[in-house]
Amino acid sequence: MTFQPAALSDDLKTLPKLPGWVTSTRAETLETVAFRSGAALTVLDGLVSDPKHGVPVKLFANHLALKAATATSKLEGRLAREADIRDAYYLTPPGEARGPDGDLLAFWREAAQMRMSSREWQAELRGLVGPDAVAEADNSLTATVAHAKAHGPLAGCVSAMRAVLEVDDRGERIACLLSDVVLARALNWTTVLPVSGLRLTKGMLRDLVADGQGAELKVQQRLLESVEDTIRQARDLSSKSVALKAVAPKLRAKGSDAAVALFLSEGTVAPPLMLSPMIRGTTIPMTDRAARRFCDRLVELGVARELTGRPTFRLYGIAS
Amino acid sequence: MTVAAKRKLLRGQGGSASESVFDRELVDLPQELRWREWMGRIEAELFASASPVGREDLTRVVGEGASVEMLIDDIQAELVGRPYELAEVSGGWMFRTKTQFAEAIKAAANLGDQSLAFTEMEMGVLCAIAYHQPIDWAGLKDIFGKEVSRDLLARLRFKELIASGPRAPRPGAPHTFVTTPEFLATFDLQSLRDLPDLDLGVGDKNVDA
Repeated sequence: MTFQPAALSDDLKTLPKLPGWVTSTRAETLETVAFRSGAALTVLDGLVSDPKHGVPVKLFANHLALKAATATSKLEGRLAREADIRDAYYLTPPGEARGPDGDLLAFWREAAQMRMSSREWQAELRGLVGPDAVAEADNSLTATVAHAKAHGPLAGCVSAMRAVLEVDDRGERIACLLSDVVLARALNWTTVLPVSGLRLTKGMLRDLVADGQGAELKVQQRLLESVEDTIRQARDLSSKSVALKAVAPKLRAKGSDAAVALFLSEGTVAPPLMLSPMIRGTTIPMTDRAARRFCDRLVELGVARELTGRPTFRLYGIAS
Repeated sequence: MTVAAKRKLLRGQGGSASESVFDRELVDLPQELRWREWMGRIEAELFASASPVGREDLTRVVGEGASVEMLIDDIQAELVGRPYELAEVSGGWMFRTKTQFAEAIKAAANLGDQSLAFTEMEMGVLCAIAYHQPIDWAGLKDIFGKEVSRDLLARLRFKELIASGPRAPRPGAPHTFVTTPEFLATFDLQSLRDLPDLDLGVGDKNVDA
């Protein structure tokens, strides 16, 4: 039997993207970074805030959480690869210890699930970063939101990071998270998108605390690059999710709607843990075999990928 | 935990031992006394528990708007001259004797060879797990060049220093081993980052380049 591979629609042409002048050369001064970040953040904001662009925000946030976990693992000197982290998180049976790599991803996923629109987000943040960082978080957040207003969101991000790292030079993940929180607050997002840590290095953070020459500019440049990357990923996820939604009616497996929904909200799906014996988050049963066939079919149709390259313990997702 | 259960019973004054009977807010008390009572409750809860108590559990015994951190700060301030301290350990708090009294306690109580005495091999395996977690039995065998006794691993697990982690993606889906919060508490580490740096040649230099 032959299948028509799902045509990735021409959404990529219609979705907002960065104007060429933002990416053509490197921003050399704080002013140009601020200016260009304005353009980049406007595009990103449009993509995630306007449902008509079809960016699956939850999936996008979970996807960025995995990237952020990989980046922070590097910043913290553990050097776990994305595949290690994904395995640790998705191969842990519910209720068992995930280990440090899985915990790191859990941290970022929880961060991405904070509801910034409700009043409890500060309590959620407290629960996440632990009691120690609370005082600094509160102080720095008020100060940095003001700073962000005067000098642009990225300046606010950097000052949030600096405030955390000055107190605790091992607080890399908290520094990145607070920076993300500042960004979300500045753009009035309802979810935190883990963006800040993606391209930072240990050395940059060290320089930032030591007030090294041009340290702030360097970090802001990297933040701008991360935002640009993030825009590309949002566009990519949007077109892939459109493709999946387009083939969804063709899938006649029992429970396929719920399974498709899982693919559209999770970055990664582990069939034996998440689809069978019951589709996660639902009461719809699916056998092991049906789950395997369902995932294989998605791959055949060109709307999902097997992520590990292993013959067993496979993990599937629509994004790479 | 039995202690917690007992306290809950006492609180409920006999018959109905439900949470709702417990007065968290203490609105009748003047501010000062209320704060005192909250401090007392937190201290009591920590005192009664053998393992670190998390923020969540502490919040349950004080008023809605009370800051656990500030209450703890006040308790700590009162303990300055005491031989024990209220320490923050792996995301929770616990009472423990100050390390400077270790010798005195050992001399008095003859704790020398008790529960946490390790053999060299146990210590080695524990280290290997700490640095390489999640790691399965076969992975440990690779490191030590011989099979690690399952009894030894069971002993570490019994001491709650290690636990089951994610399944290793190998035939048979063996469990991996990971360290526990008790491991951090036992060795007085805030997080795994406090493990001494190993010079494996993949450290800072490459990352910063």
